[in-house]
Amino acid sequence: MALTDLPVFQAIKSKMQWHQVRQGVLAENVANADTPAYRAKELEDYSFSDHIGRQSFGLETKVTKTGHITGMLSAQSAGKVEEKDMFEVTPSGNNVVLEEQMMKVTANQMDFQAATSIYTKSLGIIRTALGRSA
Amino acid sequence: MDLLKSLFVSASGLKAQNGRMRIIAENIANADSTGRTPEEDPYRRKIPTFKSHFEKEIGAEVVELGRVSEDKSPFETRYEPGHPAADENGYIRTPNVSTLIETVDMREAQRSYEANLNVIEATRRMVQRTIDILRA
Repeated sequence: MALTDLPVFQAIKSKMQWHQVRQGVLAENVANADTPAYRAKELEDYSFSDHIGRQSFGLETKVTKTGHITGMLSAQSAGKVEEKDMFEVTPSGNNVVLEEQMMKVTANQMDFQAATSIYTKSLGIIRTALGRSA
Repeated sequence: MDLLKSLFVSASGLKAQNGRMRIIAENIANADSTGRTPEEDPYRRKIPTFKSHFEKEIGAEVVELGRVSEDKSPFETRYEPGHPAADENGYIRTPNVSTLIETVDMREAQRSYEANLNVIEATRRMVQRTIDILRA
């Protein structure tokens, strides 16, 4: 079993992946803040129960017996992206609120930072177990 | 990599706002460009448009500057009989540029540019944090 297969690493990895995809979606929103008829997008909320043990946001077939062939629809970056109703729509039909997006970007960045911190700490725990001489 | 994709999207935003800024500068610079003869039209205000465009390579919607169209509103007139472009009543036609509107537009472009820069900064920090895992 590889080190990164530990449940804690797997969970954090998938959370970091989610934040990465979300950053992309938010960047799209900000870049298109002046595009007529553009609707702001948002990634579906992250829940651990959905993603734990997952390698990516692709679809996987369930296996009920050993020997069944697994199939995987790989989607490199596609978490479910949904269009959200924001609280302001300009006459051009664009509903991106820059302030709101800025807040989301910051929150996303902070959460990502938290995830990487936990990752680093978990690595530290393993390192302690391995008896690194300080 | 996904975070670099975000950088690319934000960069497209920067580029679009940049182009918008150029057109605003053009409008302000030509705010007094009248014609030389009564028949010649003065400068017509230009309007930048944005359109989002799905970039297949990175799988995201980037923004780009669309067609630059012209402001169809009528020209202003000013009484200046000595001017070479004055008509028989002594009026010259001046561009339909309002520097006030252009200035407000410029501010807006500036803010949008800053917003994109902020996203780039945040993304950059996320990449940095990921690299920091290696160091710890």
